[in-house]
Amino acid sequence: MATPILQVKDLHTEFLTDGGVVKAVDGVSFDLYPGESIGIVGESGSGKSITALSILRLVPDPGRVVSGQVLFHDQDLLQISGEEIREIRGRDIAMIFQDPQSSLNPVLRTGFQIDEAMLAHDKATKKEAHLRTIELLRRVRIPAPETRVKDFPHQLSGGMRQRAMIAMGLANAPSILIADEPTTALDVTVQAQILELLGDLNRDLGTAIVMITHNMGVVAGLCTRVLVMYAGEIVEQGPVEQIFENPQHPYTWSLLRSIPRVDALRHERLRSIEGLAPDLLHPPTGCRFHPRCPFRIEKCYTDEPRLQEVAPGQQAACWVTMERARKEMDADNLVDIRPGAGSGLHKGELTE
Amino acid sequence: MAEVAREQDPTPMRVGAKTLVRVENVVKHFPAGLGQSVKAVDGVSFEIVEGETLGLVGESGCGKSTLARLVTQLLPVTSGKIFINDVEVTKLRGERLRQQRRQMQMIFQDPFASLDPRMTIGDIIAEPLVNFGVMRGRKRSDRVQELLKIVGLNPNFNNRYPHEFSGGQRQRIGIARALALNPKLVVCDEAISALDVSIQAQIVNLLEDLQREFKLTYLFIAHDLSVVRHISDRVMVMYLGKIVEVADSAGIYTNPKHPYTKALLSAIPVPDPRIQRGKRLVELSGEIPSPLNPPSGCRFHTRCPIAHVPTPCAEIEPPLEEKLRGHLAACHFSQDV
Repeated sequence: MATPILQVKDLHTEFLTDGGVVKAVDGVSFDLYPGESIGIVGESGSGKSITALSILRLVPDPGRVVSGQVLFHDQDLLQISGEEIREIRGRDIAMIFQDPQSSLNPVLRTGFQIDEAMLAHDKATKKEAHLRTIELLRRVRIPAPETRVKDFPHQLSGGMRQRAMIAMGLANAPSILIADEPTTALDVTVQAQILELLGDLNRDLGTAIVMITHNMGVVAGLCTRVLVMYAGEIVEQGPVEQIFENPQHPYTWSLLRSIPRVDALRHERLRSIEGLAPDLLHPPTGCRFHPRCPFRIEKCYTDEPRLQEVAPGQQAACWVTMERARKEMDADNLVDIRPGAGSGLHKGELTE
Repeated sequence: MAEVAREQDPTPMRVGAKTLVRVENVVKHFPAGLGQSVKAVDGVSFEIVEGETLGLVGESGCGKSTLARLVTQLLPVTSGKIFINDVEVTKLRGERLRQQRRQMQMIFQDPFASLDPRMTIGDIIAEPLVNFGVMRGRKRSDRVQELLKIVGLNPNFNNRYPHEFSGGQRQRIGIARALALNPKLVVCDEAISALDVSIQAQIVNLLEDLQREFKLTYLFIAHDLSVVRHISDRVMVMYLGKIVEVADSAGIYTNPKHPYTKALLSAIPVPDPRIQRGKRLVELSGEIPSPLNPPSGCRFHTRCPIAHVPTPCAEIEPPLEEKLRGHLAACHFSQDV
């Protein structure tokens, strides 16, 4: 097997708040191979964005990376100087964000901002940069790039702004592109175009992609491997087909069953995950998912499970795993999908 | 096309069911200066029958939220009529309109912006009761507790403030408030869009349970077509202020008759790697045109993969007409979709 281009080892990122220490990322490890596309999925507060920001040391105050390693070409990005990490950002590892509106400077022309990405790393002369910007805009399929380079960000539509951001990310032909919810603010038709574009870049240029999203459909289309995060930890990871077809962590399993599908053949009640995401100031003991888990056993309350191999290439952090839950707990029928579950309807009648 | 095309109202799916909402040729233009106007809703007709869920989908700027605000009369129409229970609400003013509002309630997208941070949730839920002088004292507070229980919250939470609750819980509070007056029609405008996936499922299930229990009628607006398919009996697709297709939800998803609907459906990522990888995207050219100056003829012709330009698509506006039983589309070439 090839050597990983990026290795994240036991990453811990904390936020010091008035209420105490929030462990936003709590021991995350993964490898990224050249040309690979991995998805990090999770709900808000799961730590997926903070993991991405930690890689490039962009965690906002009062957060800080407290321990761990991020190895890129044999150097630990967490240890190198500020000067050195600035060299790597945008040149070797680029990042695009959810909101292209706030990532672009409103008073500078879009083309100039992309030029700057190259000039900052002495990758080109002004003239070369300008020509390459036009080529990049064409690559991300912005029509009439020669005239569009002169537009200010507000003159572009939301989809075009996101394309311009991607063009900026690609300016220095980085080996890794980290995309943090790049399509969440966009309409579905535009989202589909952006995803197709990212897929092409991954295939044609061999850019490795780390896709951070809450949308399982996005991962299904773009990624080969997926990491599922819950409350600051990776609870399951593996090849995308395996995770979707045979998830072993109850959280992954429930999440996949809680999304309605546009290609559904008949109406089935959604299997919701009851309860709320945990308060990270006071995370649950044992397995962090246990208060919401329909298959918890006694051990789950006290002992924290570690990621372990459940199938070739697939790991889950669960004492029970879905295979056992199915065999011993009749998992497919256990989850309460009775009408009225989760509301007070079976008790009170509405009166005038 | 041997038959003369004519405008037709969507056929209600439930034969014999009573029509609750009837919208007739409604137009809403917003003045935009320089003598121009934004044609947010531009000649829309449809019906909602009692007890059904009508889904409304479309991309940002298509006019779906404006339409929701017209139906609930939070905005006056520029022209056209809206009937609720055979009462022409677009004609009503003042107290008579206010009384009509009891029947129609709304659940909003942002559970943070739609609850007053300085009111307790008990007061928030009781506010509609206070406004209409329904129940007093002990009876009113009992009702608030009952509503809290119905939406799955602890009835003793009534003295707490919105900031103490998560997004999903706040949305439950918004639902309790909407139910306080036993409305007939509940308009859900992107009611679950701001919530996390696992919480979305809770709220969708709750809305379905409440509908069954209290015989509610929903107008369910969302940009997430998967959720709309799940919850709706019928689905209506809007593009640039016009309805382009209406059908029962199975029909619209399995056999779309408008190229825009087809493109929209192909764009939804399906959470299944094998299907999602093999899917072919119906690519739409260009961007959505400005509602200040919508394209001539069929508004979709500038981006349509099957348009015959210039004629008829750029010249003649296709009427919304029945293509299959109960399945309406506004397209000259729906047989080619």
